[in-house]
Amino acid sequence: MPRWFLASLLVACAAPTPETGDLVLRLQPLGGDERPLRSLLDAFERGNPGIHVRTQLIPNATDLAHQMLLTDLEGGSTTFDVFVADIVWIPELAKAGWIADLTQWFPPSALSRDFFEGVVRADVFDGRTCAVPWYLDAGVLYYRTDLVPRAPKTYDELEAFARVAQQRAPGISGLVWQGRQSESLVCNVDEVIWGFGGRTEAWGRAQVESAEATRALRRMRGWIESGLSPSFVLSATEEESRRAFQSGRAVFMRNWPYAWAEAEAPGSPIRGEVAIAPLPTLDGHVGEGVMGGWQLAINRRIPAARQALAAKLIAMLTSPDANRILAHAYGRNPPRRAIYRDPAFRADNPFIASLEEIIAHARPRPITPFYNLVADTVQSGFSAAISGVRPPERALRETQSRIDAIQGARQ
Amino acid sequence: MNDRRFAAVMVAPATFVMLGIAGYPLFAAAWMSFHRWILVFHEYQFIGFENYGFLVRDPRFVRAALHTLYFTAVAVSLELLIAVPLAVALSSALPARGAVRAFVLLPWAVPTVVSGKIWAYFFDADSGAIRAVSGGAVDWLGTPGYAMHAAIVADVWKTVPFVALLVLAGLQTISPDLYEAARVDGASSWRLFRSITLPLLRPAIRVAVLFRVLDALRVFDAIYVLTGGGPANTTESLSIYGYKTLMRAGDFGYGSTLSVATFAIVAACAGGFLVVFRERRA
Repeated sequence: MPRWFLASLLVACAAPTPETGDLVLRLQPLGGDERPLRSLLDAFERGNPGIHVRTQLIPNATDLAHQMLLTDLEGGSTTFDVFVADIVWIPELAKAGWIADLTQWFPPSALSRDFFEGVVRADVFDGRTCAVPWYLDAGVLYYRTDLVPRAPKTYDELEAFARVAQQRAPGISGLVWQGRQSESLVCNVDEVIWGFGGRTEAWGRAQVESAEATRALRRMRGWIESGLSPSFVLSATEEESRRAFQSGRAVFMRNWPYAWAEAEAPGSPIRGEVAIAPLPTLDGHVGEGVMGGWQLAINRRIPAARQALAAKLIAMLTSPDANRILAHAYGRNPPRRAIYRDPAFRADNPFIASLEEIIAHARPRPITPFYNLVADTVQSGFSAAISGVRPPERALRETQSRIDAIQGARQ
Repeated sequence: MNDRRFAAVMVAPATFVMLGIAGYPLFAAAWMSFHRWILVFHEYQFIGFENYGFLVRDPRFVRAALHTLYFTAVAVSLELLIAVPLAVALSSALPARGAVRAFVLLPWAVPTVVSGKIWAYFFDADSGAIRAVSGGAVDWLGTPGYAMHAAIVADVWKTVPFVALLVLAGLQTISPDLYEAARVDGASSWRLFRSITLPLLRPAIRVAVLFRVLDALRVFDAIYVLTGGGPANTTESLSIYGYKTLMRAGDFGYGSTLSVATFAIVAACAGGFLVVFRERRA
């Protein structure tokens, strides 16, 4: 080989090239075939020559993922660039200064224009965009179309329908939900509190004590005491309640949309006899499910040039096309509003399209940097009320004083 | 240099290493417990004994301690009650003795998290096997009084083999001549057990109980997998409370305080146990 060729090779290798290298994306396993996601990433690599996108998997359990993130970000790790964050972590991560300000690439006005209002509220902290929505979830009511005339609009209707259904199919449970002391319980209780017209946050802090909350908890405890809900809901999370509903042993179920695919799968005992509706409320207004979902954020410790590149990756991953691929290949509900109106999308994903109203109405849990600090206390307070360990007023009062001590002491 | 000093000097390096490895985390935890350190808010300031002041007035800590002590007392007692007769049975001439012992050891070999999951399925109030047996009236894992006992059952199942093995080892040291002599004198099986086996097993039982008490006071996965500390924190042990404070909330200051307090309780129990049940030199 001629000498000048070798020399230029050496120079090329030695020259600093800030744009080349790996971008690391941390995400939870999406399940199913990994090729659609990989094709998205490959397309990004083709559009940005020299860049290679690597993925790092984190646990599906949100608590474990949070723990991993906390220790890595506090330790100043720069081994990952873009990562998924649960919707409730964003204010906390922003306040800790661990995620980059994305306003220059994704101004809040653009987010409000394109994405659902609830998730935009959770992703914009202090007027700055801190994360971009990737996919969403919302609490919904499942009901048996063969046992119930239509979706109930109020709790009274739900109880009445359930009683009638229980006469027609003796031994069946009325309503199954998630009552185990965990974040699932908080989602369930928040939805009923909202259904009673209550609020769960005030002045940027979580708020649990209110007349509506007391009434909501009393109603939920009543469901267990009266037998409308079987006692096993007290130790049930999503999977336990889904199993009970899917084997035909419940009339109503509160769960996330993921259970639909299982219910309609071939061989399911209730196939063709299930429908989804918004949650009922006290006075019949359309219920708000808890908005869950995962957002994409950028690690603030990485150099600015890489941040710009990471922002490009996020823009691609949250583009309408990517939303479509995630919906079709992985069943993830898109956070972009316009997609739900697209006829091609509706034809391709009829179930997800049917969730549009419910997702548009979904409401995030308290948007506060203190959320994880108080989550534990709130979980045990709600658990005490619905398991009868303490009357609702006392449980809420004690919980409120404890979370006030945690939240109020900080300014 | 006399023998004793020589021995001390020989052991010194190993002792230093062990003190370092065992002592460093302890001192680090104690140091952290003197600070208010909230990860997310970058709060890090020295506050002396303020965390400990909060600890002694913290009802959740008191409850966690009571739960842990109750768990320890009941679980260890049950294990002894089951393991000693089991060990006696295993030491007698059984067909395929080796296979039976290996079989009995199986629960101990299964990782606690895995066995916890298995028991969670058994206790599943909707479809578990226990529901079928007990008529399904009670949701074991969701009812405050029952959940702790479900965790105890799961833990006892797992650790009885361990205690049985320790006791079995002790049984092997009892000379068969003693039994011969007693039988010649006309002693019944029960009398043999009460007057020969039990007294001579005391050292082995002491060791087994000490191990089990130390383990049970630090119980985490047996309870966490079944109930996560619920319902309403009624099954929360000291370790679970410490874990939630440290890892979930990111409150390193108070979490370290809880860790140090747990260490103190375990050390006190172990020390007290050794003092009360020390070998009496006849």
